Amino acid sequence: MSEYTPFEMIAYTGSRVLKDERIVFVGTGLPIIAAMHAQLTHAPNLYMIYEAGSLAPILEMGMPLSVGDTRAARKACYLKGLCGAFELTQRGCADYAFIGGAQVDMYGNICSTIEGHNYDKPGIRFPGSGGAGAMAANCEKTIAIMALEKRRFVKKLDFVTSIGFGDGAPDYREKAGVLGSGPYRVITNQALFGFDEATKRMMLLEVKPGRTPAEIQELVDFELIIPPDVKEMAEPTDEDLRLLRDVIDAEGYFLKRVIKK
Amino acid sequence: MINTVSSNIKNISTLEYKEKKFEYWGPTPDESRKLMVNKSHALKDKRMSLKEAVGKHIRDGINLGIGGFVNTRVPVAIIHEIIRHGARDLTLSFQSNSICPELLAGAMILDPDRVSIKRVELAWWGYEIIGIAPMVRYLATNGIIEMDDYTNYGMSVRFKAASMGIPFIPVRDHGGSDMELVNRGKMIECPFTGKNVYLLPACHPDVGIVHTTAADMYGNARIFGAYCTCPEIAMAANATIMTTEKVIPTESIRSYPNLTEIPFPVVDTVTEVQYGAHPGASYGYYWFDMDHIKMFRSICEDFRKTGNKDALKKYYDEYIFGCENHDDFLEKIGYKTLKKLKDMDGGQPIILT
Repeated sequence: MSEYTPFEMIAYTGSRVLKDERIVFVGTGLPIIAAMHAQLTHAPNLYMIYEAGSLAPILEMGMPLSVGDTRAARKACYLKGLCGAFELTQRGCADYAFIGGAQVDMYGNICSTIEGHNYDKPGIRFPGSGGAGAMAANCEKTIAIMALEKRRFVKKLDFVTSIGFGDGAPDYREKAGVLGSGPYRVITNQALFGFDEATKRMMLLEVKPGRTPAEIQELVDFELIIPPDVKEMAEPTDEDLRLLRDVIDAEGYFLKRVIKK
Repeated sequence: MINTVSSNIKNISTLEYKEKKFEYWGPTPDESRKLMVNKSHALKDKRMSLKEAVGKHIRDGINLGIGGFVNTRVPVAIIHEIIRHGARDLTLSFQSNSICPELLAGAMILDPDRVSIKRVELAWWGYEIIGIAPMVRYLATNGIIEMDDYTNYGMSVRFKAASMGIPFIPVRDHGGSDMELVNRGKMIECPFTGKNVYLLPACHPDVGIVHTTAADMYGNARIFGAYCTCPEIAMAANATIMTTEKVIPTESIRSYPNLTEIPFPVVDTVTEVQYGAHPGASYGYYWFDMDHIKMFRSICEDFRKTGNKDALKKYYDEYIFGCENHDDFLEKIGYKTLKKLKDMDGGQPIILT
């Protein structure tokens, strides 16, 4: 088996999580790559929504570099604007939200607005919610991609941008007035997480071959639920890597990026 | 009686914030309605130069609604003209944008007596694949501009509510996130279902700026590719300044009226500006100019890191103040680049007849 990079592992795992005959609301970068990989392999009838307004495009001009890229509109079935895309979602047509963020907590709430506590004068101002807050609220299931670091898997967020299970109360999302069922998977290059149905807390599902659950817990600032049957993450085959490298992101816009320390 | 309720956010983040007293950050729904009623609704030729259009409608203290989405159909030609004209104390409203607010922010850093931003109601401000937006990071991190955060749907549907002539709209997002605490929406108990639902106030810009695929001289406009939130912004604004890639005959508009996404009564000025969104993209005409955006972004990033404004000033002197109009700007970009961007669009299908 060939060597693969952390980004390739994330994209491949993202692809594995997506089921066929479903609609995924994608964010820029790895989510688009994961969804394209799924379409080329196990999920030929998976379709994408892009928030600028396109549903089920055929990406024959190449991978869109952003969710607003004009290429994401190519041969779509339905092409409106942001209201159209998000109203389809609010109506129940988007099965997966595929988002990222700067911090995540044990209930799958995500921050992408600020670092630091003071809203009016934060330590760092990030770009903001974008579509993520609406996707996490109203797509049926939320999948998040995160870098597995202690400063990102935190006990308490600086700001809740995208709703997860809130404080873990069973009725938090209902009281919040949102529709989707909430966090489903958190994908990192070393572990795949899900959520415990009863407590709504993050649960380790799979670890990268060679890593132990204890090592993963070391990289997370809150206590994970670690069931006895943690599996090994599947690794991309040569054919998967060929698709990712030569077909989907042939120019290496996302997969060849260097991770900043 | 409507009950204001809370989604019961129990201190799940470390956020500290000041309670905002509710006010519209632009015209109220009643003011905006009155203004629209009192406008001429005639089919009249609204073509004029951008200089005239901006001179007529842009003034200090307005709420400026910016069309497009990130790097797509962003009204850059209008932004350049606004910077040349000058506008202080602006409130900006948009969903997600990159170069437009960055250009205004850069102008503010160079000369706050010419251009200044007071506050921003938004969902997102950045360049996506190209990186963070250095100017917003500088201004918002240092508390120089006030921010009011919504989702992309939230901002879009706030313009939509305004375009519908209603003062607020219920949505199923924002609740349970910290946006519920910091923005100007409100959670209420739905009078029909008895369940919690979040309300967002309509957003009426004083001036909306949009770039469209094609329009007739009256402002009936077609948009191909994603609409983004341009129709809603144009319809929500008290006045709309429109640039369009191509002015087409009204006969074409009347042949296919279904294709009109922005109707004439809400449009105040029409200016044909080819490559009017450059360095952004315009579906059917040209792809975005990643090299130019990267160049401008890196100049802004250098300022953020060093505080040195020399390169920034040089950019504005060259590409904005050194130009009378967008044609002058495009001449500096050069034919070869524009040709390449046109080729990269790949001839996405649009209907101009």
